[in-house]
Amino acid sequence: MTTVRLVADNEWRLMRRSRVAQLALLILIALSVIATLTSIAHRDANDDLRARFQAQADQEFDGQPARHPHRMVHYGHFVFRPLPALAAFDPGVDAFTGSTIFLEGHRQNSANFGDVRQSSLLARFGQLTPAFVLQVLAPLVLVFIGFGVVAREREAGTIRLLSAHGVTAQSLIFGKALALGRVAGLMLAPAVAALLWLTFLEGAPIVAALGLGLFYAVYLAAWVLIIVIASSLARQARTALMVLLGLWATTVILIPRVAPDVALAFAPVPTRLETDIAIQRDLRRIGDSHNPDDPHFAAFKARVLKQYGVDRVEDLPVNYRGLLALEGEKLTSRLFDDYAERQFAAERKQGAIVAAFGLVSPAIALRNFSMALSGSDLDGHRRFLKQAEAYRFDIVQRLNRLQAEAVTFGDDSNRNKDPDAGRRVRIDPKHWHDVPDFAYRGATISEKLESALTGAALLLVWLVMAGFGVRIAIRRLEAAL
Amino acid sequence: MSPEIAQNDILYHVSLNARPTESIRQYNVALTICGNHAIKVFMTTAPTAAPRISIKDVALTRGARPVLRGLSLAVHAGEVYALLGGNGAGKSTTVAALLGFLKPDAGQILVADIDPVENAERARREIAYLPENVALYDQLSAYENISYFMALSGKEPSRDAMDAALDDAGLQPEARALRIGGFSKGMRQKVAIAMAVLRDVPVLLLDEPTSGLDPRATADFNALVTRLKARGTAILMVTHDLLGAADCADRIGFLAAGQIVEEVVPSKGMDVLALHHRYGEVAAA
Repeated sequence: MTTVRLVADNEWRLMRRSRVAQLALLILIALSVIATLTSIAHRDANDDLRARFQAQADQEFDGQPARHPHRMVHYGHFVFRPLPALAAFDPGVDAFTGSTIFLEGHRQNSANFGDVRQSSLLARFGQLTPAFVLQVLAPLVLVFIGFGVVAREREAGTIRLLSAHGVTAQSLIFGKALALGRVAGLMLAPAVAALLWLTFLEGAPIVAALGLGLFYAVYLAAWVLIIVIASSLARQARTALMVLLGLWATTVILIPRVAPDVALAFAPVPTRLETDIAIQRDLRRIGDSHNPDDPHFAAFKARVLKQYGVDRVEDLPVNYRGLLALEGEKLTSRLFDDYAERQFAAERKQGAIVAAFGLVSPAIALRNFSMALSGSDLDGHRRFLKQAEAYRFDIVQRLNRLQAEAVTFGDDSNRNKDPDAGRRVRIDPKHWHDVPDFAYRGATISEKLESALTGAALLLVWLVMAGFGVRIAIRRLEAAL
Repeated sequence: MSPEIAQNDILYHVSLNARPTESIRQYNVALTICGNHAIKVFMTTAPTAAPRISIKDVALTRGARPVLRGLSLAVHAGEVYALLGGNGAGKSTTVAALLGFLKPDAGQILVADIDPVENAERARREIAYLPENVALYDQLSAYENISYFMALSGKEPSRDAMDAALDDAGLQPEARALRIGGFSKGMRQKVAIAMAVLRDVPVLLLDEPTSGLDPRATADFNALVTRLKARGTAILMVTHDLLGAADCADRIGFLAAGQIVEEVVPSKGMDVLALHHRYGEVAAA
């Protein structure tokens, strides 16, 4: 048996005999198991609920009686974002951004421009999930179990005896890291079980699950090395504990909370109120379709009359009001899209600034990586918003087209004065069935991997930096022996 | 028993070629009175061979302070050398240098013909070291401590072998499976001595081994040292305890200001009080 293995086995035996270590590990594993089970149950229940609500919303839309198409535009429609299987492991921003959107004509969907999407507000403690347990609690428990692995040998004087028995600084540090690595492995085990469950029973992509398992292991390995380094460099175990607690509080709690505020300062995103005011101002600038003197709509009218070779809108073969609705929706949607893109760009900039903090906080690097591979990051939410917005535009324009083609201009103009006209503008409800249901397309695995790349690279940087730290610790310990 | 002969005294050293296959190495036979009439025979390596511990003109500075200034001494197999000196005389520094923890500025150190500066790991394999406060793992039993440290030395002693070594060291059987957190200093030393016995190394370094021990435990310890010496181990004992040194050492070196200022060979009927005064003068100097 190698010296490293002997040192590791002995440390492992000492840990097993330490009540504090036993209790801490037991609590963490229990939390991990509870988090895994509740998270899977929560995700399954939520997903079922969303699927049921989506089916109900589709059914209610399809079941509407004969109506004027524009009434249907304002009747609106709900769409629900289905939860990816790995959201049970890491629900990411789902709890904060929500997953239900009400779609209506002339209005941007209800979720865009929401203040809640500002990255500063998304950087908060999550609920008890396997990801939270491993990202936040596992390093803390590792610190409590491992702070004294080398420092206590130094304090007790056993380090001299070990050295006198031929144990080198390198063997000692590697052995201690191996023992602490076994603890980390135990901490990771329930999460790995959860990932296997989600892969084989819930259809999560295996590559994403493997990536998550691997990089959570990298994260914990980096912590193991950091703990062993601190324990080797500190003269006393107590000093190592204080340093490590400070490091944990800074990198796992403080920086992830401060970084988004820094990002917000450098890449401010207007509040929803500010955006609404700006959009209203721009809408007025675009023009008013009800005002006959409005230059844009006067030009539009002239263009339509010329296209159809008539002099009056009454002579058009299609309902001019429907054409106006189509044009109006096109303009407002373009405006909404512009604002949404600006908002997305600012959010991405915020996200990039926060991601850069991964260099000083492995927890940030891991969180970004984990949410990206789980499909529960802000990119995933933006993808949903974009698809929902495209869907909204599509159904509104279908209904506007129905108004243009299935309702006459005369009936449409007199629907409030003439009861017969009012009856005729209510078109056959079979048209509502022709509106397609919303089908969300999640990110492909290659898109997820691309999003997760920065986080993964930063985690590897942390591991390499920790490796260099170990080399320094070995040299310092060699000099001290 | 003759009044001149005490229990465990070595009476004769007889040189002979012990094994045809090892004809180059010479062995001694040490005859020891054991009990009232029995005679124990130990095979020991010959004092005529190269010393197991050799320190020649060693100078060593710690920080800006010169601690050893031309220290020279040699300890042969089957010999106990007691190094006495006041605080700061350089005793513990000498031990640390022998273990390769400190590098001399000048001179040469050899442990079992190995230079601990050049090859500390190999040299440490030849040394059993007992620090002043024997540091073992409190959460482990005597057996577990021994088997761990033995494994680190590349040995896997059986339970019987451990019991035999612990018998030699004098640790009561009922304590051996208990965690040593509650052991006294003397009991810990016995565990450490058992490890030294099991390692069967040629050199034993003892750093203030009897400090803090009661007279009974000190006497037990000195008897242990005598038994190890009889096995042929070269023992360097760094101590303040002149009486203990006089009891079991073959030579006593007074260390002052980093060098041996006087060397004494204890003998029966030696004036220990005079020696004590002399030690006081050296320590004060």
